[in-house]
Amino acid sequence: MSTYILKRLSISLFVLVALAAASFLLIHLVPGDPVRQMLGSGATPENIQNVRNRLGLNEPLFTQFYTFMGNTFTGQFGESITLRTPITELIGDRIAPSVQLILYGVFIALLIGVPLATLAALRPQGFADNLIRIATTFTFGMPTFWLGLVLALVFGLQLGIFPTSGYEPGVAGFFRTLTLPALTLGLSLVAMVVRTLRTQLLDVLDSEYIEAARARGISERRIIGIHAMRNSVMTTITVISVQIGFLIGGTVVLEYVFQIPGMGTLLIDAVTDRDFPLVATITVLTGAAVVIVSLITDLIQLALDPRVRANAS
Amino acid sequence: MSKWRSMSAPAVLITAGLVLSACSGGGSGSPTGETEIPEDALGNAATTIGECSSEPQSGGDLVYSRRSQAQDLNPLVAANGNGDIFVINQIMDQLVTSDPDGGYGLSPAVAESWEVSDDGKTYTFTIREGIKFSNGQPVTAEDVKFSLDRFADPEQNLILAIAAVGYKRSVVEDSRTVRVELDRPVAAFLYNISIFPASIVPKDLVEKQGDAFFDAPVGTGPFMVKKFTRGSGITFEKNPYYWEEGKPYLDSVKFNFAEEDNSRMLDLKSGKADMIDGVPYSQIPQVLDDDDLQLQVVEVPQFLGLWLNHQKPYMADEKVRQALQYAIDRDEINTAIYRGVGTTPNSVLPALKFDASESDVEPYPYDVEQAKKLIGESKFADGLEIELKYPAGFEDYKQLGIYLQQAWGEIGVTVELRELDPAAVADAFYAGDYDMTFPYPQFTSDVTVPDEYATLLADPDSGIDGFFSWWTDDAIWQKIEEFTLTPDEEDRAKQWPVIQQELLETSPVINVLNLPFVNAHRKGVCGSKVDALGSDQLQDTWLASDAG
Repeated sequence: MSTYILKRLSISLFVLVALAAASFLLIHLVPGDPVRQMLGSGATPENIQNVRNRLGLNEPLFTQFYTFMGNTFTGQFGESITLRTPITELIGDRIAPSVQLILYGVFIALLIGVPLATLAALRPQGFADNLIRIATTFTFGMPTFWLGLVLALVFGLQLGIFPTSGYEPGVAGFFRTLTLPALTLGLSLVAMVVRTLRTQLLDVLDSEYIEAARARGISERRIIGIHAMRNSVMTTITVISVQIGFLIGGTVVLEYVFQIPGMGTLLIDAVTDRDFPLVATITVLTGAAVVIVSLITDLIQLALDPRVRANAS
Repeated sequence: MSKWRSMSAPAVLITAGLVLSACSGGGSGSPTGETEIPEDALGNAATTIGECSSEPQSGGDLVYSRRSQAQDLNPLVAANGNGDIFVINQIMDQLVTSDPDGGYGLSPAVAESWEVSDDGKTYTFTIREGIKFSNGQPVTAEDVKFSLDRFADPEQNLILAIAAVGYKRSVVEDSRTVRVELDRPVAAFLYNISIFPASIVPKDLVEKQGDAFFDAPVGTGPFMVKKFTRGSGITFEKNPYYWEEGKPYLDSVKFNFAEEDNSRMLDLKSGKADMIDGVPYSQIPQVLDDDDLQLQVVEVPQFLGLWLNHQKPYMADEKVRQALQYAIDRDEINTAIYRGVGTTPNSVLPALKFDASESDVEPYPYDVEQAKKLIGESKFADGLEIELKYPAGFEDYKQLGIYLQQAWGEIGVTVELRELDPAAVADAFYAGDYDMTFPYPQFTSDVTVPDEYATLLADPDSGIDGFFSWWTDDAIWQKIEEFTLTPDEEDRAKQWPVIQQELLETSPVINVLNLPFVNAHRKGVCGSKVDALGSDQLQDTWLASDAG
């Protein structure tokens, strides 16, 4: 098993190094000069050269790459070119809304998805099952920016329950400003939750130990709520963890639509300004988040599921 | 030369626009037809209607959703164009300023008066008596000298050192008098120092704090920074030492950064914001239909500047350029894409001071036959293929590209459209890697006089290759140079129309349409004036008491 863990860690490290290299090269290969973006057409050629020299952008690409990789893996992310602020400070300021949005979105997806999946599993192919399938397919198929705007229109403009945009810190601010974007994110994820959990529940409900429980006269509610759910929910959580990349991508769009000052809008600004170090750092950190979540999920499964343990050995 | 950024997702804008349209009632005009812009929406008239006809009232907090965010409050950096500039303008003043009522003239600001020597090389400014920075510290002649020296130092003024052309030095004559010497007469000097890089800052604080000063700078503007959250917004509170008696009226102003067009519209409609800028053209009818909202269309030196690369033989051919001009039906573009808010230009530059009237310098008429004739007389009579690069993420540029492709196709010019993200378009522009391009999503002059753009375009020694068009014309440049060196305004007013006519005739670049700024506010927001450069005059803005 330790070989498995070691192997899994090595793969994760390799993925991160490859991601750092790819993000650095990609942003440098895309046309667009950060200094030109920053100074505009009124700047003199001398000024442009001076700023490029100061930022090390006139160094050969390999030298810049070597410096970037060294800095990234020692946690020294440097300074944003456009904002002239340490990147760690920028990310520190912007990470909370994004993390909150993802967690709140997942919570809403589970809050809606678990009861719906249970309802669907109780009467497979029944009216409720089909209705739930159609509704969740609809929310899954809608682009998040469109769904977000529709929700803002209904709950913000028409009903006036939530603000149409913005972000406020604090508990009250969290619920006021993040509920609509989190609901949008949650709705786009709910189909995944419902489908996975429904399939798992149906499998489990068909198994012998559930039959045995029924034979012992345990109520159906207790059977589903405790016995079946416990064995089905792990797969659902695994599926959600695999979707972390999708969730992060969704927050980029939602932060833009709802004007949330998170990592997503920071990334959009950085790409627009060709702020090389900032783009590369955010990409690497996002990739690291995906890799770490995936690693943790694997390790949890390893600990909890004897079948995985057996395979690993 | 402002920039404006947007997520590169035109589909986002188009589809989302439909979402909002679906929820609005009625419509002032058909979806693609002409929208009639009422008189009360034009210019600063939009602020004097209804409940705003009474005397201004003090107090209240204004929320303003703006499409361009502020990133850097240092006026010599202002890396995010108008997003930074219009924020800096709330905090800082210059010696003189653009007419707050929207005219082309200049008004006193930190300087209460000035004198110009006969040779146009010496300006003597008298600092306003009793004027103070927002921290209560008096403005001294040393502060003014320090600020102007910074402005003229190309090592510090990274973005617009060109505006300090001719500056030699400043001399402090006494505590309230500063003499500025130029090495040659610069006719536009007062205009050049009326904009953001020449903002007056306190010498001692800038020297002591360095870059940190600009995190929450101190100036003589109507407001001061209370809280600046990058990526989210900036809150100002009134400057208690502001030099205009009784102003500003508002206690505080909050700018929300809302780059997404539909989000801004939602902010306004829901009452979350009192004002927004950048009303999407397609949503103008909805603003006009909403009784709670007031549209404000303000003429500024903004244009759809189509740049032509004269390194390409077909763009260097004057007959081809003129043919392209004749083949544009500007009325149709204005009606179908810009809801009738644009105006047909009679210049290759945006509308600027000294421009001749349409009867003196006539715009290019829409004349396909004349265009075909010119192409036939050009070296490219057998037809030619041209690539047009334009910025992605903007509904109007996409439609405009398709329109031009079709219009020029009729005269035998095949246009290949290339939609790129704004940074890539700008990069290709600076590198000369284009046939023709709309280089900036938002293209505005920094000053209201033609000196800046005419010099950038025609000066062979500017170091930016004819404003990256690679066009040269010695005869026109000589006239422009003389114009920029002529101190007398009356003489300049005679010289410019001749240059304007010659530039239009040869068309080194093309102005497709002059465009205003299109803002909107909720009824009850009064005095939302905008100067001729598009900067909000929030010191004059007030809230009627019955406004939400």
